[in-house]
Amino acid sequence: MKSLQIQARDPAPLLPWLWEFAAAIAIVGLCAIVAVGLQPYLPEANLIMIFLVGVAVIAARFRRQVAIFASFASVLSFDFFCVKPYLSFWISGVEYLITLVVMFAVALLISTMTSRIRREAASAADRELRAQTESMRTSLLSAISHDLRTPLASIGGAAATLRSHWDRLDEPTRVDLLHSISGETERVNRLLHNLLEAARLQDGVRLRKDWFPLEEVVGAALHRLEPQLYGRTISTDVPTSLPMVAMDDVLMEQVMINLLENAVKYTPASTPVEIVANRRGQMVEVEVRDHGPGFGIANRERVFDNFFRGQTDNVRGAGLGLAICRAIIDAHGGTIIAEDRPGGGALVRFTLPITEPPGQTGLAEAFR
Amino acid sequence: MTQPLRRPLLHKPEVLIVEDDPQIRIFLKAMLTSDGCRIHEAVDGCDGLAQATARNPNLILLDLGLPDKDGIGLIREIRKWSQMPILVISARTGERDKIEALDAGADDYVTKPFVPGEVSARIRSIFRRTSTLKLTDENGVVSFGNIEVRLSTRRVFVRGHEIHLTPNEYKLLEVLLRYAENVVTHRQLLKEVWGPEHTEESQYLRVFMRQLRIKLETDPAHPRHFITEPGIGYRLLMDRDEIR
Repeated sequence: MKSLQIQARDPAPLLPWLWEFAAAIAIVGLCAIVAVGLQPYLPEANLIMIFLVGVAVIAARFRRQVAIFASFASVLSFDFFCVKPYLSFWISGVEYLITLVVMFAVALLISTMTSRIRREAASAADRELRAQTESMRTSLLSAISHDLRTPLASIGGAAATLRSHWDRLDEPTRVDLLHSISGETERVNRLLHNLLEAARLQDGVRLRKDWFPLEEVVGAALHRLEPQLYGRTISTDVPTSLPMVAMDDVLMEQVMINLLENAVKYTPASTPVEIVANRRGQMVEVEVRDHGPGFGIANRERVFDNFFRGQTDNVRGAGLGLAICRAIIDAHGGTIIAEDRPGGGALVRFTLPITEPPGQTGLAEAFR
Repeated sequence: MTQPLRRPLLHKPEVLIVEDDPQIRIFLKAMLTSDGCRIHEAVDGCDGLAQATARNPNLILLDLGLPDKDGIGLIREIRKWSQMPILVISARTGERDKIEALDAGADDYVTKPFVPGEVSARIRSIFRRTSTLKLTDENGVVSFGNIEVRLSTRRVFVRGHEIHLTPNEYKLLEVLLRYAENVVTHRQLLKEVWGPEHTEESQYLRVFMRQLRIKLETDPAHPRHFITEPGIGYRLLMDRDEIR
């Protein structure tokens, strides 16, 4: 399964007919010019090769009918320009007739085979896409059925128990059940949010970019996450001397939230998490480091795939967090990688390009 | 400014809940009743407008996704004749709705699904702002965290040391203080600090907010008071315990 990405269409179902014919004529013409230019130096058999290359190029780019047309045109041009008497379609001997027929046959063969290869490549890509979609659907269904049913079962169970056994339950048990209801509900909600977010990003990321100080987005994420951090130490080293960065603040907040959520989820409660930002040439680089078990070498690329989940038993989620991060960072023209740190612990590093905000300093001064 | 975590609301304030989903109404009613509110319920926009007019409640809790009427239109209609506080309930991803509602005159928003305690906290801070309760002490001094603002002399201190703010930085701080604990949209801030002709230039707002954070916050990347609401605006938190 590939990670989320913005779907790029094939380079268009080729040019319209007329343009293809025009381009084919131009290519054959070019071959003729080259052939005439080389005529004094090369035997005729080699001049044929030049035309055959042209036919191959045309067959690789355009539809089959155009390639057949080009084969025909090549034979005629060869005859017209390169076979005595020059500048005439007449041929001086039977051997030339054979040459022309063989040339036409070879040209036809090239064009037929090339278009067949192209068709097969296209259908193979299509099959792979279908298989991917199919496996995506399967993963999606299993994610939904398992990850949605489990919390719903505990919510339903807890609520039913409270309703029917209210009097027989002691106070701490009631509180436990209520906690489980609200906690599991939050889980369902996060799962749905991630699924919807992933689906939305799969259709293509639409950015609403503006210039932001990096610390603003980091701070917003930390603030939003605070209820889930339970006093976890998160240190920040985000120099305010960094330039403002063009980004979609809502989506970048999502990236920071997902990275921090992961760091907190997969590491022991007593360990700190660090956010460190730096400038590297024309990029800003942000690292989220933890002191947990790390990703493991085998997983470093796969963690960005849809529905990939870490190995820890007690951690639950849809496995979409990092896939969402990658889609968002890619759309910003940045990069994101996952690594294990030499001293132990995991690290996710992303970069964002720095572009100069238009007249920022001058106008800001004027505002003062 | 330390206050008990669950300071009672105004004396038995009347709250009108405009929400079409009966389950959400049950939950909001139970929660707000236990906070000491008297509750009226409206199931759609028309009913909401009628009850707002007839009862003139102390606060309206308005769901933006109503079956019959656009919630933002409803805010505009109410704002034609009343400044009664309106707290909007909005979906998690509806940044645009939230901004529109706030710019139409809503006082603040809460996001569905609710974070526990968030609704009462928001209602409390709206009441605090709109009631006669003053943020300042008798000398015109507001203090929160390590920060002390002397409104009469326009001087600001952090841990007792005076901090120099430019006139616009101070103005920005003043506006945020006026709406303390409540979200203020980029547009509102720009309008109040730089004037109505500059409402689109949110980039400059961020430059100044950054300066304020650098000057007043201990860690600008993990602010305690100057909170960003991505895509919407800023919120000045006075006492963090109050919101939790």
